[in-house]
Amino acid sequence: MEFYTSSKYKRPIRLNEKTREFAYESLYCKYGRDTRKVPYVSLKHIAGYETMSALEQYNCAILEIAKTAPIRICEGELISGAATLGDAIGHNVPARFDDTREEMRSVSHLTVDFFEVLEIGMDGIRAKAEEAFKKHVDPEKKAFIKSCIHCIDCMEIWHKRYVEALKEKAGFETVLENLETVPFRPARNFYEAVQSIWFCFAFLRLCGNWPGIGRIDVLLGRYLKADLECGRLTLQEAREILAHFFIKGCEWITGENCVSGDAQHYQNMILAGIDECGHEVTNEVTYLVLDIIEETGISDFPVTVRINKNTEEKLLRRVAEVIRFGGGVVAVYNEDLVLESLVDMGYPQKEARKFANDGCWEVQIPGKTNFSYVPFDSLKILQHVTLKDYDETLDFEDFATLFEQYKKDLREQIEMIYRQRVLEKLQEDNVHFKTATPCTVVALFEQSCIERGLSYHEGGTVYNVISPHIGGLPDVANSLYAIKKAVFDEKIVSFKRFMKILKENWENEELLRNHILNHYQYYGNDNDEVDFIAAEILDDFSDMCRKYDKETPIRFVSGVSTFGRQVDWAPMRLAAPFGRKSGEVLSGNLSPTPGTDTGGAAAIIQSYCKADLKKQHTGAALDIGFIPSNIDSDNAIAAIVGLIKGFVRLGGYFMQMDTVDRATLIEAQKNPANYQNLSVRVSGWNARFVTMSKEWQDMIIEKIEK
Amino acid sequence: MRAKIFDIQRNSFVDGPGIRTTVFLKGCNLNCKWCHNPESQLPKTQLLFYQSKCVSCGRCKEVCPHALKTCELCGRCAVQCPTGAREICGKEYTVEEVFREVAKDRIFYQTSGGGVTFSGGECMLQIEFLCEILKKCKEQGIHTAVDTAGNVPWEYFEKIMSVTDLFLYDIKCFSDNLHREGIGNSNELILQNLLKLSEQFSGDVIIRVPVIGGFNDREEELKQIATFVKKLRYKKTELLPYHEMGNYKYEALGRQYTSYYVPRQEEMEKYRTFF
Repeated sequence: MEFYTSSKYKRPIRLNEKTREFAYESLYCKYGRDTRKVPYVSLKHIAGYETMSALEQYNCAILEIAKTAPIRICEGELISGAATLGDAIGHNVPARFDDTREEMRSVSHLTVDFFEVLEIGMDGIRAKAEEAFKKHVDPEKKAFIKSCIHCIDCMEIWHKRYVEALKEKAGFETVLENLETVPFRPARNFYEAVQSIWFCFAFLRLCGNWPGIGRIDVLLGRYLKADLECGRLTLQEAREILAHFFIKGCEWITGENCVSGDAQHYQNMILAGIDECGHEVTNEVTYLVLDIIEETGISDFPVTVRINKNTEEKLLRRVAEVIRFGGGVVAVYNEDLVLESLVDMGYPQKEARKFANDGCWEVQIPGKTNFSYVPFDSLKILQHVTLKDYDETLDFEDFATLFEQYKKDLREQIEMIYRQRVLEKLQEDNVHFKTATPCTVVALFEQSCIERGLSYHEGGTVYNVISPHIGGLPDVANSLYAIKKAVFDEKIVSFKRFMKILKENWENEELLRNHILNHYQYYGNDNDEVDFIAAEILDDFSDMCRKYDKETPIRFVSGVSTFGRQVDWAPMRLAAPFGRKSGEVLSGNLSPTPGTDTGGAAAIIQSYCKADLKKQHTGAALDIGFIPSNIDSDNAIAAIVGLIKGFVRLGGYFMQMDTVDRATLIEAQKNPANYQNLSVRVSGWNARFVTMSKEWQDMIIEKIEK
Repeated sequence: MRAKIFDIQRNSFVDGPGIRTTVFLKGCNLNCKWCHNPESQLPKTQLLFYQSKCVSCGRCKEVCPHALKTCELCGRCAVQCPTGAREICGKEYTVEEVFREVAKDRIFYQTSGGGVTFSGGECMLQIEFLCEILKKCKEQGIHTAVDTAGNVPWEYFEKIMSVTDLFLYDIKCFSDNLHREGIGNSNELILQNLLKLSEQFSGDVIIRVPVIGGFNDREEELKQIATFVKKLRYKKTELLPYHEMGNYKYEALGRQYTSYYVPRQEEMEKYRTFF
């Protein structure tokens, strides 16, 4: 039994044989396939369902889920609770009135607050809700809070079913004992804390939601410390317990093909960094998480480590060692810059220090933020709006005029996003939120929804953020740079003629195309001239958003991403001025366009860091790839650590590092059966490569250095 | 002062500790038949022509003052070649120009314990320049490494010892006969210099032994090198397996390459136990 790695090194063995077996069968889809067997619970028998309000319907659905969802207890599992309904894997509340269609969409892109349930238990949260119910008079708010209490009751029903089922089985005495306390009462030790978070997480997922975990080492660290101190637990035992959290998190792995790969359910985790008071939080749990990933290669909880200038060398080395095994599981935030960015945006410092991600890598405050982003293709704006689909009558006197026109067109796009996405969410007063799809279960783990009597989507959270995300920016910078060089500096082609050539997709213009491809240094090579074009656009983009920020209760701040959208955008794109033909898959996130970077990781980081990235308040991701044979020496660990530290010093934001070579991926395309657990970093998530569509696989292959 | 340089590579993980920028100086006084940088051997500028990249557009001929009949290495064809099939190899750099390139990744040297490595060719053949650039880098706090085959007068080492932190020192074989056969000259000077270095140089030396299948991949030969190396006070020896990644460059130079074979991984593991 070996866990896949692209490295020549063997994964270490620290877990016991039973745990390893459990991990193995989970990774090979045993439970994911089981989850698919029952996709949803039926609501057909509920009298008067069709005439109910949306909230009443939701309440019925959650009750039915709690009462009838299959119970799954795996042999030898150390923690219990399972999200066993298949529709949830597809981002839906797994309950249907009409068998032919899904009923309600669920919630993702959030990291909830698990601190409260550890502290006061679900009973404490229920007491809070009862208090709030008394306080509020507004009938709508009362109905919402009642729904919260109802959902806690449902959770209790589901909880009782597990307790009963466990009693029937032998060997689950400790699990049972834990469940008698958590999650309804506060956790008293590490084991209970892991079970408590897992049970709540599983319930959220059972009801269709895809939450992130947040700062797991902060959540669990103090419990483990206390247990170790009084000898209640050994580190080895703690590792086994925590490993079951990761293994059970594989229960949605189906191995089925889906466009962007399976297992992207945004259950991200954050490690390390400073706490509210500025003290480093790194603890035993931090290292246990890395141990577990290193040993099993489980990629379903992508981990991001908050690195700052003072991060201990030992942690950096561990991160580099885990990265070397491949799978792209561990990424890094530059904590110093992210904090600066959040404080700039207006968060109080203590609040900012709590940051985690939204499930991918966009930054937010867990349990307090309703976050969504609006992606758009900035290359499309250049091609379709500024250059009018390469209209041959178009002419620009100089580069500056063209650049200004582009920024003007970009501004209009931002304004449109603001109107369509922000104002649309609000009532006419631009203060109150419109009624939205119910999602009460989520509100139980969001700090202010219950007190305010408002749902997660209706202004219940402390912060509401909608972030336009610019995509394709490196392609725009490269395009503008190529026009600048070829038309205005070297004058090897006139503007009008260039437009014609592009319109005809470089037909019969191979020489010019090759000149443009081979003689200019594009974004990703530490060439100031092109890097500053990218930096300037980013800066202006951020200012454009700022204009609309704070106009309403919804914050409107900028960020950068494509995730994998460059694949979807490719067919709509025309030929690009930097030598690319129409339909080619171009850059992802803020990473260089595949094939244009020749200087290695250090140069890429230099290019990326030239922009003032703290102005991208919800994040700007960089993808770096390593070829396994290039990093199989001892020195490579020092080099990877050096790249991460350099990234922090130069002012990067978020960097994900994958280790794989083209040949392996091409081989995996041909023989998927042999590579079922070859995980690749896509963006805010990892995917098993063989479950991705051909287009997405090709995109990943193209990203890798030749 | 200028040096002839044929490449400056950033982000190297294999030419010494940490992240490094490697500066390749042109010209070598050994003639190893397996050389993976054959374009480094001659000190003069050369024109490389990659047949596989050529699209026969004829632009080179148009811009060439001699219609490609003779070559003065003016480089016009390389500038005009749209596909990069023609490349000028070897460019003059001043100390300042090299330093500017080297300084670009300074931050990564600091964060990784890296620095600059001068390689070649035999970088020590351009000793005056090398001395100046090393001095400049040292002054600026950059860790310096010199990758050498050691076949130069001992005085050259004396010149740069104080501004060099690390030597990467190649030993290709111990037997003088084999050395003459495969490389064309004696290795006496090479071994002597290394012994002296071991006595007089206070910095670090990493011995590097290329393992060339069909040349020096004999147990006895490698064991002899190991015995010699063990007498020195340096702890680290790296065995580098022969690879074929430089073969295409022979074609670009219009030269034949001699085929050697790549030692198997198990063999390499075994050889490493000698050291």
